[in-house]
Amino acid sequence: MDLDTVKARAGPRQFSPKDDMPEEYRKAATRMIQFHANSEVMGGYLDKAFTRMAPSLDRKLACTAKTQDEIGHAQLLYRAAETLGVKTREEMLDELERGDGKFLNCFHYPVSSWYEAPMIDFFVDGGAMRRQATLKSTSWEPYAHAMDKVCFEEGFHVKHGEDILRELMRSSKANQERTQEVFDTWWPRILQFFGPMNSESTHNDFAQQVGLKTVSNSELRQAFLNAYIPKAEKYGLEIPDEPRIEYDEENGQYRVVEEDLDWDEFWTIAKNDYEGSYEQIGSRRQRHEAVSWVREAMDGWEQSSAGTTPQAAD
Amino acid sequence: MSQFSGPSDLGDEERDALEALLFRMADDEYVAAERYIEWQIYAPTLESDLALANVAQDEYGHARLWYDLLQDLGYEEEELIWERPPEEWTHATLVELETESGDWADTMLRTYLYDTAEQLRMEAIVDSSYAPVCDRVGKVLAEESYHREHAQNWLDRLADEGDEESFARVQAALDRLFPHALTLFAPGPHEEDILEFGFRTETLSDLRTEWLEIVVPYLESLGLDVPEPDEVEPVRTTGRNGDHTDDWFDLYEDFTATYRQLDFDKPTTLRGEGA
Amino acid sequence: MIWEVFRQEKPGKYHQHCGNVHAPDRDMALMFAQIQHGRRMQTNSLWVVPRDEIGEVDTEDAKFGGTTDKAYRWAMTYNNVDASFAAEVEESEDEQREAAKKREAAKKQEEAQS
Repeated sequence: MDLDTVKARAGPRQFSPKDDMPEEYRKAATRMIQFHANSEVMGGYLDKAFTRMAPSLDRKLACTAKTQDEIGHAQLLYRAAETLGVKTREEMLDELERGDGKFLNCFHYPVSSWYEAPMIDFFVDGGAMRRQATLKSTSWEPYAHAMDKVCFEEGFHVKHGEDILRELMRSSKANQERTQEVFDTWWPRILQFFGPMNSESTHNDFAQQVGLKTVSNSELRQAFLNAYIPKAEKYGLEIPDEPRIEYDEENGQYRVVEEDLDWDEFWTIAKNDYEGSYEQIGSRRQRHEAVSWVREAMDGWEQSSAGTTPQAAD
Repeated sequence: MSQFSGPSDLGDEERDALEALLFRMADDEYVAAERYIEWQIYAPTLESDLALANVAQDEYGHARLWYDLLQDLGYEEEELIWERPPEEWTHATLVELETESGDWADTMLRTYLYDTAEQLRMEAIVDSSYAPVCDRVGKVLAEESYHREHAQNWLDRLADEGDEESFARVQAALDRLFPHALTLFAPGPHEEDILEFGFRTETLSDLRTEWLEIVVPYLESLGLDVPEPDEVEPVRTTGRNGDHTDDWFDLYEDFTATYRQLDFDKPTTLRGEGA
Repeated sequence: MIWEVFRQEKPGKYHQHCGNVHAPDRDMALMFAQIQHGRRMQTNSLWVVPRDEIGEVDTEDAKFGGTTDKAYRWAMTYNNVDASFAAEVEESEDEQREAAKKREAAKKQEEAQS
């Protein structure tokens, strides 16, 4: 299929591994899904910390279940990416370990306290879920199928995150203040989650033309702000003065003053070159290598059994 | 018919014995899970990560079944977990030991040794004289069979069908963990009363014998060299009387620090209907 | 040799098991499957898989989703907070509620039978 045909036919779940897709499509889709899968893994490094911190047994269970879901999403997404025939899961995981794999800006910042739990589990996940819901209509069918299951599960994550925020903001004054401080730190990162708006990123236009994406980053951020600013305020969080956000009563839209955000930091992160990037990717590398002996042993069994267990014919 | 239908049927001595039994079971499960979750995101593959995380959730869930019965006896979650001094926990040292980074063999062997014992000790309380224990044990047994199968599938492959390194790692884990696994059967407070009142219907020494009859032949069938149980130098701390290794005190500090920092009024519960 | 057949009705839909065919090899299985399983029902694609390559675990062997309370996995448990502020969260919760209902009903049926 040539690119013009792809653009003409682009629509929800329109293309599958049966279709002979042009290289540009396959590469763009791989880049996008691999980024998404990497983000599930690297988000896990943050969520994992909350399991150990959780202040009740049931919260602990919820945190471990949530982290488990994220790894499950990574499994679905790497598989969806593999169906494009560009890279294997092993190659993508190797790239992640080497620092060549890209992932969401928010997951380049290590966490150190429970006050950060709702920043990740409510705001970042809420933003991610907003985006993922629109990806149910992506043109790459295996990606859309992965999104069906991901979105089914994510509702729990966002409500779990909101419940943690609610609990913190109804507890002691000291906890409320700490939560506000942490929110002040995370808020600009969360706004940047959706990428820069003034010049939509280079891959974005193409991704929309071929139906990989159906909604622009600015529309996503708008929808996020409309839903989540009132929530933050409901729990008594104050939206920081900077970056400036203006609300237009007439069209019900928020306008974020882009130049108030630190785009140098954003682009440094995008190159995996931020100090937090080194810490997170370094941890990934160390942990992934520590169990390489198990994967090697597994490869041995796979070869000796050709991956199947012979069964008696019935 | 169970002799004791609930807390109100218990005298002081009976209550003390029952509490000792419940703490012992609950602490084992809780601390085992607290170690398993350290693997989340770090397991060898994505699929194996999901599977072990589920085992951890099951074990926390089992801990909760027994802690809930302690709540029926008047305790609060704060006293059972978050504010209970670490030297009052009575889990076996097997479950508290830190696992070295990447030592998947340690955890697979640990789950095998632990869950085999778990099965036996659950069967030994199926006919407990305390009815609420009998009501819950079926749920635990139903989830434990996956744990054992999962561990055995891994051990078969790592030891019997694996390469030199994977075999050596399982053997090293066995040498290290076996003496601690024996502490699963070490007596703790009120052991005689636990038996006398019928809360558990088998002695620890019988459970130990049955356990050895299962695990020794199995591990030997994988070509492993199993330490002679009666010649193993007993570990100095069994955990059962609140004496623990340093690993435990570090772990306890780690998982309770945020609780203390937040100082919430109540630990949150998230339960389903009819749970 | 037996081949299990999976049919996808329309592009974008899932392949679902619809039956099987006897055939000596994969190409013949595809020839037969088109006629046996695709001649009337709407079909966009068929997959054939050797039956012997299929592993199975069922409720006899496994307790899917476990036996202890895992309410923490479900959005509905968090009823201090309301999902209606975001359509996608609400939709997810509805799907989960539906799935939980099905699961409960199946469990009750199983209990009634035993």
